Amino acid sequence: MRFALDDQPVDYVDGDSVAVAVLRAGQHPQHGGTLCLTGDCGNCSADVDGVPFTRTCLTPARPGLRVRRHPAVGAPPLRLDPPANPVTSPSQPEVRVQRVHADVAVIGAGTSGTAAAEEARTAGRDVLVLDGDAGDDVVGVYPGPMVVVRRDDHVLHVHAHDVVIATGAAELHPVCPGNMLRGILTAGAADLLRARGVDLGRTATIDLADLARFDGADGRVTAVVRHDGTSEPCDTAIVTAATRAPRDLLARMVDDPRVRVVGPAAQRFDLPPAPVDGVVCPCSKITVEDLQGVWDKGFQHIELVKRAALCGTGTCQGGVCMPHLRAFVTDRSGEPAAPFTGRPASRQLTIAEAAADVHLDAFRRTALHHEHLALGAQMDRFGGWWRPWHYGDAMREYWAVREGVSLGDVSTLGKMIVTGPDVVEALERLYPTTIADIRPGRSRYVLLLNERGHVIDDGMVCREDEHRFVLTFTSGGAASAEAWVRDWVETWNLDVRIMDRTVSLGAINVTGPLAGELLRRVGVEEPPRFLQHRHLSVAGVDCHVMRLSFTGEASFELHHPVAHSVELWRALMEAGRDLNVVPHGLQALFALRLEKGHVIIGMDTELDTTPRRIGMEWAVKMDKPYFVGRTSLGRTEPLPDHRRLFGYTMEGPAPVEGAPISVGNRIVGHVTSSFTSPATGRAVMLGWQKHTPFADTVTIDGRTATVTPVPFYDPEGSRARA
Amino acid sequence: MNEFVETLLSLTWHEPRSSYDVVIIGGGGHGLATAYYLATRHGITNVAVVEADYIGSGNSGRNTTIIRSNYGIPESIRFYRHSQVLYDRLEDETGCWIMHATKGLIWLAHTESAMRAERARCQLNNAMGVETVLVDPVEIKRLCPQIDLSGGGRYPVLGASYHVPASTARHDRVVWAYAQGAMERGVHVLQQTTVTGLLRDGDRVVGVRTNRGDIAAGTVMSAVGGDVTTIASYAGVRLPVRTHPLQAFVTNGYSQGFGPIVSDTELLCYISQTARGQMLIGHEYDREQSYSRQSSFQFLQANAVKMSYLLPFVRNLRILRQWTGRCDVSADFSPIMGFTGVDGFVITTGWGTWGFKAIPAGGEQMAELIATGRTPEMIAPFALDRFAADHSMADQGSTGTR
Amino acid sequence: MRAPERLWALRVVSTPEALDHAHYEGDVIVLRIANDEAIAIGAVHAELTDEHAIVEVESTFVGWDLSLAEFDEIVHRHVEWPLPAERPALAQGLVAGLPLKFWIDHDRVLMISSNGLVHEVVDRLGVPA
Repeated sequence: MRFALDDQPVDYVDGDSVAVAVLRAGQHPQHGGTLCLTGDCGNCSADVDGVPFTRTCLTPARPGLRVRRHPAVGAPPLRLDPPANPVTSPSQPEVRVQRVHADVAVIGAGTSGTAAAEEARTAGRDVLVLDGDAGDDVVGVYPGPMVVVRRDDHVLHVHAHDVVIATGAAELHPVCPGNMLRGILTAGAADLLRARGVDLGRTATIDLADLARFDGADGRVTAVVRHDGTSEPCDTAIVTAATRAPRDLLARMVDDPRVRVVGPAAQRFDLPPAPVDGVVCPCSKITVEDLQGVWDKGFQHIELVKRAALCGTGTCQGGVCMPHLRAFVTDRSGEPAAPFTGRPASRQLTIAEAAADVHLDAFRRTALHHEHLALGAQMDRFGGWWRPWHYGDAMREYWAVREGVSLGDVSTLGKMIVTGPDVVEALERLYPTTIADIRPGRSRYVLLLNERGHVIDDGMVCREDEHRFVLTFTSGGAASAEAWVRDWVETWNLDVRIMDRTVSLGAINVTGPLAGELLRRVGVEEPPRFLQHRHLSVAGVDCHVMRLSFTGEASFELHHPVAHSVELWRALMEAGRDLNVVPHGLQALFALRLEKGHVIIGMDTELDTTPRRIGMEWAVKMDKPYFVGRTSLGRTEPLPDHRRLFGYTMEGPAPVEGAPISVGNRIVGHVTSSFTSPATGRAVMLGWQKHTPFADTVTIDGRTATVTPVPFYDPEGSRARA
Repeated sequence: MNEFVETLLSLTWHEPRSSYDVVIIGGGGHGLATAYYLATRHGITNVAVVEADYIGSGNSGRNTTIIRSNYGIPESIRFYRHSQVLYDRLEDETGCWIMHATKGLIWLAHTESAMRAERARCQLNNAMGVETVLVDPVEIKRLCPQIDLSGGGRYPVLGASYHVPASTARHDRVVWAYAQGAMERGVHVLQQTTVTGLLRDGDRVVGVRTNRGDIAAGTVMSAVGGDVTTIASYAGVRLPVRTHPLQAFVTNGYSQGFGPIVSDTELLCYISQTARGQMLIGHEYDREQSYSRQSSFQFLQANAVKMSYLLPFVRNLRILRQWTGRCDVSADFSPIMGFTGVDGFVITTGWGTWGFKAIPAGGEQMAELIATGRTPEMIAPFALDRFAADHSMADQGSTGTR
Repeated sequence: MRAPERLWALRVVSTPEALDHAHYEGDVIVLRIANDEAIAIGAVHAELTDEHAIVEVESTFVGWDLSLAEFDEIVHRHVEWPLPAERPALAQGLVAGLPLKFWIDHDRVLMISSNGLVHEVVDRLGVPA
């Protein structure tokens, strides 16, 4: 059985790790440095199958592995083109994630870990032991607590009630001249290799306390030299030490009362003598001279030494250098130096492993998604939904609305039914406008304000009877609307029932001067009048029909059970065939509404837009005793204001949305919406002025624009009511 | 000695005095830069910077080191552009190598509404003299061939704004450059000194109470991160500030190979390669408020998958270390700089996720405010009283948050 | 595994007490998704004592009928939270980032999504469309 090391075959014995096999072949997995073969250091890490910084001591040898040593000088290359994308290509095998729950997770199967597990089991608890020797490579202990474990073929997420860290202690690495030679082992590594039958040649065993330096030739150790000057020739140097360092990186990375550290990992430890010479941090090749250099420059705190010398910031995260760094700082400062902060991840999880089985936001489709695609729609995501941006020709769609009839899929609108004895009171408090005087069958446009009096959404309130209303919200506001309404109702302790209908009902907007005619053809003899709403059968589908107008033309929103969306849409398209009905997308809709001067919350407004800033004081009844935002509006109303959204017109094509608005040389604001309006023959815009006095003429795109009252189109609103 | 060590300049520590003209609370970038500019621009050196831990231990040492000025409102663009200019000159001025590198920032858009926002950003940036240009997918591929324009099949790239002067610098070294320059001119930096209260004389703040004794001061400035509402409360000042954790991570170090900074308006994440070769990846701050500096696995998961969509090559990189800072976020996502209404107590806060890039300009402007007793025109829009005046500086879309 | 089917239901919002005593006509599975809200799959009529109750036809839900083996093999590993032990039981929460409901019976699991997210469920869990 063999794998490749730098393209040369390496034979291995079943059960070998890559590191053991490499050593068996008389090679070194890196270019030098003491090996522990327990994962504590980074001195055996190499590129395995295209993934650099892989600890070869923890990687089982497998046939066909491609192992490549990191360069002797400098960092491994950043491969910019390798793995396939998880979504677009199946060639990269997916990393599997397994999730388990346990009462107690014990990290470590040594003496103290076994004892802790036994104790928990005796107490009747469900225990999961994570054993490094069995291939459980613990990456991190996170708040929760949650333990993330890398295993050979998957990543394990452990959700535990309690975590016991029993990771034991690690052998000390030697810091002295020559410590980056090949052929130096800790005593544990030597035992392991012997047990695996690896020929270590002539060995010299030396205690850390006696060690002065290693001598070598061609990068390989040839002798150990003691403080007393004696020297012992060897092929392999084995370093023993009287003490071990607590293996406490996991313990230092989490602060959670449900995470306990036991055994040697928690024990006090006598620091080794301060290092005098040699490499302290093999990962970053930081020497004692470097430490002395930063110390002499005034960096005299263990965290500053770490950051200035970059000691302990490499692969092993202080696994090798921490005892020696602490010893150095303790010696120089005369005060005991605590370990620096422990941070996850203790083992280098790949980004693919971290990303495994993770999903971001879901994007909803309306029930008409495939209808849109069949009609050639270019879809865009807006407010968490896929929506038609246009169907190939936004201007054609525009003209269909202005001169004929068009369909728009407005299923994404927020929709909610509210009932209950206190429903009127609740709505009076939620909305700044008056609710009680809306008659059944009528509807009213409303703003929604937050406590600061800033506009957060808008929509319609439709009254069905004394105690039942249907509320609508914008598509973008729908996601938070239910929680907003519910939280306030709970806060006020009002007797109100709330049912969110956003994903339950589809909605189709039939709009244009021929909209009424189209409805007649599908069985609506008497459509509701402007700002009225009724439950009607449309093409055999039970609909809640709301008459309003965002486009500026007569518009009927048909709200219906989502299962009937396709049937209703097709019936309308069919019945309107000779009326040249076409659907319209968002692009046309944004243009149509702009000609009417309707703001889109979040597009034309900002985080701190009060109603007066967008000229909508009429939607606020300050004579009401209370509504959300009233206190704030009452406070800010008397203050001088310097911000206002105006309508503008100018000759020529519309400027880019976002274009600065200037008065003289001063930028006073920017355009929020703009459109070259065929209906008015001019560029029409909405845009902010944020300096007073407000100007009547401004410069946009190098041209003179005039502040113009909205609506730009059909200011009397006769078309919407027709 | 390696080059990182060789190129460091020495810090000069002093024995503390009991009284200073100016005491600055917080030995991070903003506090030390303010001290530096007090000393270099105004000749005020009887200054102490008191730091609860070690210098740069807070957010200055925990950020993702991006320096940019592609904001969405003129006041911010002007301020951050000025900071960029000061950064460009900082190595020459201080003689300290901060590993400053101009890289350009590609800010990706995946939807029509994001494109609309990026178009607007370009318009206003250019009008303010900041080079930010709209780029199409072809140009994006030229600037950064590694970007998957299909966004993993989920986030197709429609375009981007490309902020040409964006740069990075090594965060610690910026802190040390200002510390070194200030300390060399006689500014005292007192580490392991925790402020536990403010000394008052009537309504006026006249010093700080610390774990190592009282220190009198003509002016006290708070430049702390994470605990600012506590410090301000000692002066009876309420701040519209919430604190959220902000997390980031780095991979192991690889040879240099990835030039630009890539960011994303929708996924709210950003990536660049550090001077040490690590890929440095961050995203928006945690939704929940907290003072915790613990790192979460959920952050790592979300960010790892985002980057896998945008830059598939990162999938085989190994995560070296993740960490967490604390962001003070004001009610309008802009900083708060200046007078507080309490004599002798000034403040610089609300630095959210955007404090690092502002260190030079924030320090310079606050130094001028302290030295002259007047608010410099550039930071006047960011005064604390803007909230009461309902005159906020809302520009959330530019902050990499939502 | 079979393709999902649309689940016609009545959705009811009312007081907790009224919901506790509601009567539904038909061969019904009642999912009590909240203290004040229930989804009665298969119901055509609901009787409640609450005059302000909201009773609406609900057609957004789509269900996959899974054997326990299918559930264990395909779905369960995506569930990050503990499932209830009793049978039958309703479980609901985010699974693979999607809001799903499970009606877990002795030998079957009905996995329920809203209509607009079916494509995401198919993509993320690998169940048939």
